[in-house]
Amino acid sequence: MSALFLRDFAIARSYRAAFILELSETLFGAAGFFFLSRFVESPQLDRALPAGTSYFSFALVGLAFFDYLSVALRAFDDSLRDARQNGTLEHLLVTQTSLPVILAGSILYPFVLLSLRTAIYLVWGAALFGFPLGQANWLGALLVLAASILAFSGLGVLSASYLLVFKRGSPINWAFLGISSVVGGMMYPVSALPVWLQFVARLIPITYALEGMRAALLNHAAFRELWPSLAALLIFAAILLPVSVATFSWALRRTKITGTLTHF
Amino acid sequence: MGKSALYVENLEKYFPPATSGWRSLLSPPQVTKLTVSALRGISFDVRQGKVLALVGANGAGKSTLLRILTTLLLPTRGRAEVCGFDVAREPAKVRRHLGYHTGADACLYARLSGRENLVLFAELNNLSPSDASQRIANLTGLLGLGGILDRQVRTLSTGNIHRLGLARALLHQPSVLLLDEPTRSLDPVAAAEFRRFLLQRVVAELGTTVLFASHTLAEVEQLAGRIAVLDKGRMLICGTPSEVKAAAGMETLEGSLEILTSRPADSIS
Repeated sequence: MSALFLRDFAIARSYRAAFILELSETLFGAAGFFFLSRFVESPQLDRALPAGTSYFSFALVGLAFFDYLSVALRAFDDSLRDARQNGTLEHLLVTQTSLPVILAGSILYPFVLLSLRTAIYLVWGAALFGFPLGQANWLGALLVLAASILAFSGLGVLSASYLLVFKRGSPINWAFLGISSVVGGMMYPVSALPVWLQFVARLIPITYALEGMRAALLNHAAFRELWPSLAALLIFAAILLPVSVATFSWALRRTKITGTLTHF
Repeated sequence: MGKSALYVENLEKYFPPATSGWRSLLSPPQVTKLTVSALRGISFDVRQGKVLALVGANGAGKSTLLRILTTLLLPTRGRAEVCGFDVAREPAKVRRHLGYHTGADACLYARLSGRENLVLFAELNNLSPSDASQRIANLTGLLGLGGILDRQVRTLSTGNIHRLGLARALLHQPSVLLLDEPTRSLDPVAAAEFRRFLLQRVVAELGTTVLFASHTLAEVEQLAGRIAVLDKGRMLICGTPSEVKAAAGMETLEGSLEILTSRPADSIS
């Protein structure tokens, strides 16, 4: 899989300006967000936020880590679509590496790049706008991140399965990104939602990922306190990964029967 | 008589009718309604170290047959084996013995250098870094890639991209090489060079079995010991160039194809 990471890094590096601009974009995002957050003040919000947390810190974590869901949902699709369009898909599939492994290897680079961007977000937020980096439980945050990536990847593979059969568009992306951005707690606490939407929030993995990440980064939560979020994410992963791999295998077999594997 | 490197028996392939727009959403490709025939009862074998050419008009089934052998498509009925491994049941083992190259231009990563492309595919074919370096060095000498290996693919000529594509197909020393119109976009000099290389190095020196599809009949006569003539998914005849000409009662391959494809399939022996 390292070969696929190196491939994507080498391709990204060959577009030097775009590579640098993409990373530096983060700086503008965090700065703009800090100034915006100064206007978002209400007693209701203060009550809803975890104790000792500023809205800027709360939302910065939401914004930075929501991207892991976006990347997980889009990276598999992008990898498949790129290979179809540049004509390499057939040649990748004729190698001794299976398609699921090729897809898994193809999302390494997007996740590493996103992690670099997230690190810049947090360091920049801490250096200039008072994001409380010092009180983080880093190991806990890494565990929550790993569990989140596993759970999100299941959704990504499901989306790639849809793309294999239907070639364009993905209702899985559309539904999960849309619902997650509204009820997942990215910009406001889940407790600020109507009760029925709070119930919906409990059915999607991003809610637990953001809760766990905020607890680890902002509240120095111990592993015991992180466990409910971790357990929920691992249950999502345990269900979604086998289901998505089985769905993908079915979709792959179907395209080999219909002859549409390399169509786009 | 050597062993069969390729064995195909009563191979059939049917596709579902193509759908688009709202029909494809309401009724995605129905694997149960396979009504469009692409291959109808194809049988042949190719012995180790031999070359077989597939000829026929567009839509005759040449590429479908090659795609089944590469495990990119599943056959509807019948059997196909590469080096004794069934393409439907043992695809991973089949791919271990297979090299595949098409005449399409865009088949490498344009933003990577030739070497980066080859290293990537070597690793995907489970070659260790040292084996990969050695193979790339060998193929560089064999295919004359020295001057182009470290240039980005997007800066290379079509001929050089083809040589790189062929190097990729040969990286893991496959026993069988499948080529789909390999000289389609090459100029006459590059095509002649390619054919010379294929015969002298790939077949004679390495002993690789080659199955290739081509519309260039001079190329077919030059390279292939045997020719399989396909028409609308059926195999009309499989034999040496002389046998094909004799069956049609013609002196040229071009004339023979015209005659053979105009006759009912059952009347050709």
